[in-house]
Amino acid sequence: MKLTRKAALVMAAVPAIVLVTPVGSASAHGYVSSPPSRSAQCAQKTVPCGAPTYEPQSAEGPKGLMNCNGARGDFDELNDDSKGWRATSTGTSLTVSWTFTARHRTRDYEYYINGSRVGYVNGNNAAPADPVRHTINLSGFSGRQKIFAIWNIADTGAAFYSCIDVNVNGGGTPPPTTTPPTTQPPTTTPPTTTPPTTQPPAGGTWAANTSYAAGAQVTYGGSTYRCRQAHTALTGWEPPNAVALWEKI
Amino acid sequence: MIAVAVLALAGCGGGAAVPEAQQQHQQGHGHGAATSTAPPPAATARFNDADVMFAQMMVAHLQQGIDLAVVAKAMATAPKVKELAGAVDVTQREELEMLKGWLKLWGKPEQPSSDPNVHAAHGGMPLLDAKVIAEVKDRSKEEFDLAYLNLMTGHQGGAVEMAQTELKDGSNPETTAYAQRVRDSRSGQIQQMLTLINGQ
Repeated sequence: MKLTRKAALVMAAVPAIVLVTPVGSASAHGYVSSPPSRSAQCAQKTVPCGAPTYEPQSAEGPKGLMNCNGARGDFDELNDDSKGWRATSTGTSLTVSWTFTARHRTRDYEYYINGSRVGYVNGNNAAPADPVRHTINLSGFSGRQKIFAIWNIADTGAAFYSCIDVNVNGGGTPPPTTTPPTTQPPTTTPPTTTPPTTQPPAGGTWAANTSYAAGAQVTYGGSTYRCRQAHTALTGWEPPNAVALWEKI
Repeated sequence: MIAVAVLALAGCGGGAAVPEAQQQHQQGHGHGAATSTAPPPAATARFNDADVMFAQMMVAHLQQGIDLAVVAKAMATAPKVKELAGAVDVTQREELEMLKGWLKLWGKPEQPSSDPNVHAAHGGMPLLDAKVIAEVKDRSKEEFDLAYLNLMTGHQGGAVEMAQTELKDGSNPETTAYAQRVRDSRSGQIQQMLTLINGQ
């Protein structure tokens, strides 16, 4: 009796994580990847965000919430409707896909607009198998809407929350922002490097988010490199750090 | 240049690790990557448990990512998906050999001391296994790209989480610098893959 009351108190005070069994089921994570949810737009850098940029999958909280951030205080910005989220144009049939960083047995998926449940998919207590794709019926809605998408996992008290902004049937006022001009990360060349006249053929300074063909030559840190295979350059894949992609010449 | 690599490793007291590491490297890269430039510096001897855990978990994580990327190189329809899978494949092979070399120098095994799933809290290890990779191979041509992109986006999201933990708790300078590159390059891949998922 005493133990039970104590356990109940603990459960009330600390949601979700305490209930996790010790082996094999610690943190499950997931979010709606398509249409781009607010979490996905943070990761895509469509909208500048803080913590969700690197952890779009972690809007975790106890089941039964109706928000975009779960219980994550540092994800609060996901609830800010004025942040310039891009709304996806759709008809009344909307296909939603999910991305998971951990695979957990699933109770169900729920979709809400203004407190009404517009979609429900039973998870059958099974682990998700990609692609996880659901079709939601948005009949009766038009214009800009915010869909609360919820992944209720089966083996802890936790759920994962994603908000999807849509514009149904082109009705209503257009979304406040289209793609902000900040979509592409800056790819500007540092102004202090080599003058253009001394560049090797088809060269230029290596820059992240640039598409390079095999054989392309760049300079980086005073050295010249030749691209081994076609790829889009990324911060972290600088030529000296990605010998598999760049041959020093 | 190979001599430079040998010296760099031997200088940290791990000379015995060199031949095997180089042999694996050559097996991993048909085109002989990593022979024209010295590899990233060998890790120094100062390290803590977080560094070891990160390196061990990344060894398993990198191999799973390579297995999945190899499937995508063969099966993906969209050229951009194939291209990214190809770059992930070769860069992760390079990273894998580097981390194996570090663990050898530190005298630590390549596997964590217990079931990797125990460490799921460090960043979602249980996402990919042989069964999941076999399942994605069975997808129709129409479904494959979406299934792969969502899987790989989630998988690399796990790498970002592990890197964040290492940046917070690690002490070895080469390992934390590598964690920074993991965080940046994987979040860059996620950005690209979400764009591909959404057909933008």
